[in-house]
Amino acid sequence: MKTIDDFVTLVGDELGLAVGPEDVGRHLDEVAGWDSVLLLTLLTALERETGRRVPFAEVLEAESLERIYTLAIGG
Amino acid sequence: MDTAADELRALSRAGALVERYPSVRGLLADADADVVRRVGRLLSRVRPEDVLTAHPGTPQVRIAVTGTGTLDGVVAPLTGELARHGLLARVRSGDFGGYVAELSDDAAPAADITLVLLDAAGVFAEVPTPWRADDVGTALADRVSLLEKLVIRFTSAGRGTLVVNTIPLPRRYPAQLVDHRSRARLGALWREANAKLLRLTEDHPSLVVLDSDALAADGVAVTEPRLSTYTKAHLSPDVLHAYAREVAHLARGLVGRVKKVLAVDLDGTVWGGVLGDDGAEGIEVADGYRGEAFQAFQKVLRQLASQGVLLTAVSKNDPEPVRAVLSGHPRIAVREEDFVRVVANWRPKHENLRELADALNLGVDSVVFVDDSPYERGLVRRELPDVAVVAVDEEPALHVDRLVADGWFTVPDLTAEDVARPARYQEELGRRDFLSSFDSIQDYLWELGVRVRVSRARPEELARVSQITLRTNQFNLTTRRLQPADVRASADDPDAYVLAVHTADRFGDNGLVGVVLAHREADVLRLDNVLLSCRVFARGVEQATLSALLAHARDTGASAVVGEYRATPKNGKVRDFLPSVGFATVTDDGDTATFRHDLTDIAPPPEHVGLTVDWNRA
Repeated sequence: MKTIDDFVTLVGDELGLAVGPEDVGRHLDEVAGWDSVLLLTLLTALERETGRRVPFAEVLEAESLERIYTLAIGG
Repeated sequence: MDTAADELRALSRAGALVERYPSVRGLLADADADVVRRVGRLLSRVRPEDVLTAHPGTPQVRIAVTGTGTLDGVVAPLTGELARHGLLARVRSGDFGGYVAELSDDAAPAADITLVLLDAAGVFAEVPTPWRADDVGTALADRVSLLEKLVIRFTSAGRGTLVVNTIPLPRRYPAQLVDHRSRARLGALWREANAKLLRLTEDHPSLVVLDSDALAADGVAVTEPRLSTYTKAHLSPDVLHAYAREVAHLARGLVGRVKKVLAVDLDGTVWGGVLGDDGAEGIEVADGYRGEAFQAFQKVLRQLASQGVLLTAVSKNDPEPVRAVLSGHPRIAVREEDFVRVVANWRPKHENLRELADALNLGVDSVVFVDDSPYERGLVRRELPDVAVVAVDEEPALHVDRLVADGWFTVPDLTAEDVARPARYQEELGRRDFLSSFDSIQDYLWELGVRVRVSRARPEELARVSQITLRTNQFNLTTRRLQPADVRASADDPDAYVLAVHTADRFGDNGLVGVVLAHREADVLRLDNVLLSCRVFARGVEQATLSALLAHARDTGASAVVGEYRATPKNGKVRDFLPSVGFATVTDDGDTATFRHDLTDIAPPPEHVGLTVDWNRA
């Protein structure tokens, strides 16, 4: 996972959500099909893809996909 | 391989998941856990009512999930695992920690299966800080006695199957005790509680207890500390998936789709090597590294057969040598009497499986098929999508775990009727004629994309050519054995042909699998031998090869191609090969037959074969 586009693809693959680049800046509540439960799946997938530790607690508090991406890549 | 997930995601995006729901099962048949879970996620968003409206016959199973932690993580794997069996899961996930209310509320919505997920965090939440082993023992005893009351109440209300897991004990707990004696005490108390849970099944027929220890022993991590701490998901995604897999098999049983027949291939599956080529002494049955691995697998087959599984063999072999090994090999661990039927012939396996199911008076959907050949598995999966196909490969030490990875034969209880079943079905060894026709698998062969390359053997291939002449016994017209030096001499002879036949298909490259040896005598091309590995029989390879050779003979001015067949105990099936590709029989004394093709009417290669030829010398 090198770019935010890869990340969007990953979200689509793992969570089965029809998300596009336009969704990354949205508040998660406004992303179609989003459910906080999905974060459990996403957290594990992110660590597998990036090969690094993702700060779970901060991701759980994130309000957008963009923020999750930044946290996942260590930004 | 992500193709199933990709295809299903495309269906999902196109809003066609409901319409195409019946295809989901096939797409998931071979999928790994990740794909099953992802697809389960997609399917869990589909309204079950819509699927039932579109496909009224879809069997549905209602599952209520409850427990002591966050439970949502089990919904996707449950939905996916049930879909893998063609079952529509209607999962209702209860409130966090609401299992007491759920189990004691007789007015709760009805469910076929109620799954109670128990975890160590739920127990330790009731333990003071600091704690000692006995504090945990007290909390556990309370928990188990509460569960027992709930189980009694639930089962006496007849509310369907109740599934509970034994509580896994992650190391983080015993490791907080500094002395080994206390750790041992905690371990004993913990297991006594789990044992009590397991023993509840003796009195409650509708209770199933999943043993978490067996999963943990196989290396499934039972907990993920961050998910546990931050989201109260105390059981890891992997362990939840493993439970879901078990529940799916229970669900199969509830809708009457239990598997009853285990059909195993023999060469490469039950023993190592190729019986027809290597002989009874040459196959790996019980000795040596690989032999021991095969023997371990044989023991598991016998173990399953002793519990009512109808064990059958479906092998491409002549029947007599198979019978000789199964009844006479001193060290084989699964024997003729363990099988209800042994089918050894040369017909396509799906035809044998269909007839086998008919003969046993069972549906073909009750069959589990195990084979090490991707070709055979692909054919069976294509022709008989209701058959469960188990892949084993060239590493026999993995056969056992592959076979038992899915609980195909799992039932809640084993009855006396089950145990007696194989004896009722036992029959004589099935004997059928060899039939090399590939008409019945024509569509499959088109999809298989068989490619054949016929060319003069290159210098580095001559050793392999020699090996094929030395080892091949079945598809071997004259059984002339050639040492490497003999092959090299022929290759150097300007009048001789040493042809290598390479094949490949969508499962991969089969390598150099066939050899044609011939030489030119004036205007006649004389076939010295035609050999083909039995791994690739009856796919059009032999027909394509001969077609290429005949055309080449004609194009280079030959007036005829002549060949012969010399009978041996093992090559009976190729007696009629040359006539089948247009040769006329000239003489036949029973042991040796000679044939001639006048090259006026050469059958083209089978249409499904992509044939390339190269007559140039290297």
